[in-house]
Amino acid sequence: MPSRRLMLQCALPLLWTVVAQAESGPSQDTWTGLKPMFFGDRTIDEAPGYVALEAPKRAEDAALVPIDLKFPRRETGDRVVAATVIVDENPSPLATTLRRGALDGAFDFGLRLRVNSYSYVRVIAETETGALHMAKAFVKAAGGCSAPASKDPEEATANLGKMKFRSFAGQGMAEAQAMIRHPNYSGMQMDQITRLYTPAWYVTQVAVRQGDRLLFSLENGISLSEDPTFRFTYAANGQPVRIEAKDSKGADYAQTFSADGAAY
Amino acid sequence: MRAGFTGALLFRLTLAAGAAPAEPPSYRLDDYQAPVPATLNGRPALTVAEARALWEGKQALFLDVLPHPPRPEGLMAGTVFMEKPHLSIAGAIWLPEVGRGELAATTETYFRQSLAALTGGDKSRKIVIFCKRDCWMSWNAARRAQGYGYTSVLWYADGIEGWREAGLPTQDIKPYGS
Repeated sequence: MPSRRLMLQCALPLLWTVVAQAESGPSQDTWTGLKPMFFGDRTIDEAPGYVALEAPKRAEDAALVPIDLKFPRRETGDRVVAATVIVDENPSPLATTLRRGALDGAFDFGLRLRVNSYSYVRVIAETETGALHMAKAFVKAAGGCSAPASKDPEEATANLGKMKFRSFAGQGMAEAQAMIRHPNYSGMQMDQITRLYTPAWYVTQVAVRQGDRLLFSLENGISLSEDPTFRFTYAANGQPVRIEAKDSKGADYAQTFSADGAAY
Repeated sequence: MRAGFTGALLFRLTLAAGAAPAEPPSYRLDDYQAPVPATLNGRPALTVAEARALWEGKQALFLDVLPHPPRPEGLMAGTVFMEKPHLSIAGAIWLPEVGRGELAATTETYFRQSLAALTGGDKSRKIVIFCKRDCWMSWNAARRAQGYGYTSVLWYADGIEGWREAGLPTQDIKPYGS
């Protein structure tokens, strides 16, 4: 453990140089201003091996930008327990804070975000020791926070809180997908009828459990896409899967599925 | 006959190559960031030089109509919501949202009352309306102000981009009345 620490510290200056050279393009100014708001004066490095972030360079739909987080397996004591996703240029930059359930093994997590203007999307992983490690990607997308809802309010209300759970074991992938039907209004979308901004109304908390065991939980801001959907590492073990969610108006939603997701 | 055909073809080619679109009969309702007409009610848009002369002579009220979602209602307590700085023409007044194709009654009232206050009720006051380059919201807002009976509404279509490219003074401004 001490030797790894030492190695990391030695590797850091070199890493910064490489990163700085590779990014003469997009500005880091926004992050420089945001970092103290969310992490105070804590040190955040970009040491590899803790979390990787995959995002499209240019998004087809700024209101539905797919982001994949990959947490490789790490030794006990140095595992990632939580990860915060930030979209620098979104007016409300904190998209979500993910907490992992079991920490052993690798964990992949995919989500869909609103991106309001060309922006860095970054993930800051926190380990068991409280160390912070970051990965980031620059995404060209604009208007995601203000894009009109794809469904009219009646349709959104009729399906509010309905959930889906699907295992991809049949396709040979140890993954599953959870979806919560919710308009997830950002508060920045113009109502096409009233011509006023629709107030924010969004899923603030999510927890997904396999039996009694937590797979992951989330605390969200307004930057998740409509009908929040998550794809994650999953291996069926016969236990039912329960999805719980709470929204910004305090409403609770929950649904339980069979292990293979066949129940819906 | 042949010359006529060639002429028509050339005309079409010119249009396709990016000539300004014709003025629509009423407000533009969506897709605001797109090529704009050369005129408003037949009157050519102000050039940067013309806008500059009015600005330097302090002869006109400059109104920026870029939209601006305020901090949303319904956010959880403690949510970080950053107000981005808005760089505009120095001394301009920012009236967000008034250039959309259709306005909520409250927005319409805001536009009418702001105009009345800013002009001191003088409907012949020179008013220059702008937002971004190729943004129909300034065209809509200028047309709307004319509809309210203001007689010297000028449309500066090249927007803040044209102003900045000319190296003219800018300023970080906040929405009027906020």
